[in-house]
Formats: sequence, structure tokens, C-alpha cells
Amino acid sequence: MQYRSKYTGVTSLLIGALSLLALACKKDDYKLPTPSDKLQNQAIKRTLGPNIVGQQIEFAYAMAILPGKGKLVSCTAEASIAGAAGTYMDNKSYFTNVNNSGADTGVVVGSPSVTSGTTTTVTYTVDTSAATLRYYYVIPEEARGKTVSIKFTAKSSNGETISTTMGPYNITRMDMKLNMKLSNKNMMYISIGDTAVYDSAGAAAHAGSIDLVYLYRSYTTSAFNHALVAPAADTTYLPGVNLPPGVNRTAKLLKVFNLQDHNLAPTEQYGNTFIDDVDFQSISLTGEPNFAINLKQGAGVWVETADGKYRAYIYFNAVANAGTATVSMKRYALANGK
Amino acid sequence: MKKNIIISLIVLSAVCTWAACSKGIPVDEDGLLITTRKDCYVSSFELLGTDYVSVRVGAATIDTSALTVKVTVQFGTDLKNLYPQFSLAQDCKLSPKITGFVDFSDTLNPRKWTVISGDRQVKKTYSVVVSVQHR
Repeated sequence: MQYRSKYTGVTSLLIGALSLLALACKKDDYKLPTPSDKLQNQAIKRTLGPNIVGQQIEFAYAMAILPGKGKLVSCTAEASIAGAAGTYMDNKSYFTNVNNSGADTGVVVGSPSVTSGTTTTVTYTVDTSAATLRYYYVIPEEARGKTVSIKFTAKSSNGETISTTMGPYNITRMDMKLNMKLSNKNMMYISIGDTAVYDSAGAAAHAGSIDLVYLYRSYTTSAFNHALVAPAADTTYLPGVNLPPGVNRTAKLLKVFNLQDHNLAPTEQYGNTFIDDVDFQSISLTGEPNFAINLKQGAGVWVETADGKYRAYIYFNAVANAGTATVSMKRYALANGK
Repeated sequence: MKKNIIISLIVLSAVCTWAACSKGIPVDEDGLLITTRKDCYVSSFELLGTDYVSVRVGAATIDTSALTVKVTVQFGTDLKNLYPQFSLAQDCKLSPKITGFVDFSDTLNPRKWTVISGDRQVKKTYSVVVSVQHR
């Protein structure tokens, strides 16, 4: 009797397991999901890297409603801090043109955007129930060191409204200046504080803010080539340079190679890193020399000014043996001179 | 019967423990293999700048009798921040270990490293003499 009961139990378990297996393997027919009958929206941020004052942050905002329910009426982006001049929303909805090598092709769907204060609006001029508009927010000076959020809102003809908020995004404290032209014996005086390059006359007029001298020397006995040297450096590193009166500051320089910041070197194959505020905050240049010689294209120099007000990263985009160079700079103002 | 099984298990575990603790291949305090090799020398030497690019001018001169490594670096090299790299005879190790950039600016007192042979019995201290190329 006991064995019989055990046998029955095991059999039941086996049958149960087989039933479960059969159910698990049963193929369900695919059913199209039922679309929401409400106005829908979604946003993505298209730009990567640090958000720098003067640069754009690009968003793509998609909105749609069932054609039977209505059509799109307007799209609005509201920034927590008003964007700088140049902030706009594209009035085109883009699609990937499969007949043109996948080119991004825009179709005008609304009137040109109107920006008023913190709000940018596109009003639809065509009958459409789905579109993706791109919003370009130019980061204003006012936002430096703060955070910015963008609230996107879509309206449809049936009176529905839907919103989504992106952010908050940290806006960096650092500045950026691209493609500064340097030339040996002419535009050779660099001011980190002014993020500018001066010739001798300009340097004399801004003597107190000149941090570096660019020079190029071609020697057969050593590899001097392109160099950044603080005016106060040993004259061995400033051969043939007659400094303008008052140009006498020192600096700390750290030479690096292949640190290709994507903002400073957007076309470099390996320029997929970003230098951000935190890099300037954490780097120590204590004990570094006041000169960096034999610099090449792709080289970079971290700099700290003598007064401790700024740290900068200067990247060599291009050099020529004629004694010229193109450099780009990220500069960070240290809080309280530290 | 039960008693015998327990005794067997105890004996077996004791044997296993002894085998695990017995001395096998010798390793030093760094976990490196101690071998029978007595070779003890520097075979090549490199110096990198802060940009991790070589600052040498020509190859370093290694004198295995005088126990010196003489290297000339490019004009303008920051001697306070150089990254030395040694290649040693097989199974050797270096003391002190190189963990980052080294200050070579005191040229009157060259930095020294000791090469220790694979059997850890031979020790030779090399001086690294750095000179700067003229402009």
C-alpha cells in the first residue's frame, strides 16, 4: 500500500512536469502590440562629452499620435536657463535616406522656430501625426558651473499635451578656444588668462598676462623643434628671444603625448576622450618645469599659471617646420586661485 | 566498520594536509620563482619622459664590470620626472622596485638599483648616470 502510494505520487509529478514542458514549448502567435491612443513622446541627447559654455547641446525630440486621433500642432523646448544666441529648434523632421547612402534628410514640417526667453517653439505647418525635431541649445555664460534642464512639450490637435524633461546637465566651468595660430617670431606670446595669442607689441601691452612663449628652432645637435616656454625660464630655452618689457612670468608645464581630447581634436582618429573640469581639479603640476620643448603634432601640455589662477591643456593640432603651429586650449579657472 | 571508516578518513585528510603544506617550487617574498640561474646583469635600459616617449639620445651604455648604465637624454628633458625601464638577465629582479617617475636631477649622486640573480644569491648594484645633450 505504501509502495503504491509512492508510485502514484511520482507518476503525478512526472505528468505535471511533462504538462509544464508542453505548455512552455507551445508557440504563441505574434500579435502586433496595441499602440497607445494617447499623444506619445521621447527625447534623447545627441551630443557627448562635457557641456562647455558657447557650445551646443543637441537633442532629438520625437512625438507622435495616432492619425485617427489628431495631428501635431506644436513643439516647445523650455530651458531652465535661457540659451545663448543661436539656440534654435530645427523645423525639419529627419529620416535616413536609403537611396542616398543613408544620408540624414530633412523634411520641413513647421515654421522656423521662435525663441522667447527660455522657450523655443516650432509650430507645425503640415498635417503630420509623427515627427522628430532637433533642438540646439547654445550654452550661455550664465550657466557656467550650474546645471541646465530642458523640458520638451508636444501638443496635438485634439488638445492633448505631453512633456518630458531632460537633465539636469552639469555645465563646465572650463573654457575652450580652438585653432589658435602661432608663428615663430611673430604671434608667439600666449596668455592663458586672456585665452589669446599676441605679437611683441600685443605682449608688451598685456605683459602681466603672458604665460608662455611659442618658439621653433631647428638644431642639428638637439631636438628643440616646437616649444612652449615660460618667459621666466632659463634663457637656454629661449634662444634668440628678446622678451618685450614686463613679460617675465613663470608657469608649470607638463608635457604629454596622444592625449587627444575630442573637443580639441575632433578629427583625430583616436580623439575619443574628453578633458573635463575634474581633470583640471585633480591634476598636480607641483614641481613641473617651466618649459616643454620638442613638441609635435598630437602633443599636449598641461599648464598652471604662476598666480595659480588657471590650469589649461594646450593641444598641438598641427605644426609646420616653417615655424608655425595651430593649437587649441581648454582652460579652467581655479577657485580662489587654487 | 564505522570506526574503521572514520579512522581512514582522518588519515586521508592528514595526508592531504601534509601534501598541501609540503615545500614545492620555491618562490621569494614577491611570489617570484627562485631558479638556479646565477646570471646577474642589466641587458638594456630605457628612459621615458612624462609623455611616455623615450628621451634617450642613442642607446644606453651598460658596463657590466663597472656596474654602470650611462645614458644621454635629449636637451630640455625634465630630469625630475623620468621613467626608467630595465631589461635584466633571465629570472633576475630589481631592487628597489620602480613604481613611477624617478628624480634623476641630482647628477652628482646617480640613482642606484640592485640586480638580484634568479637564485637570489648574487646581487649587483648598478649606478645610472644621466647626462643631458647640449643644445
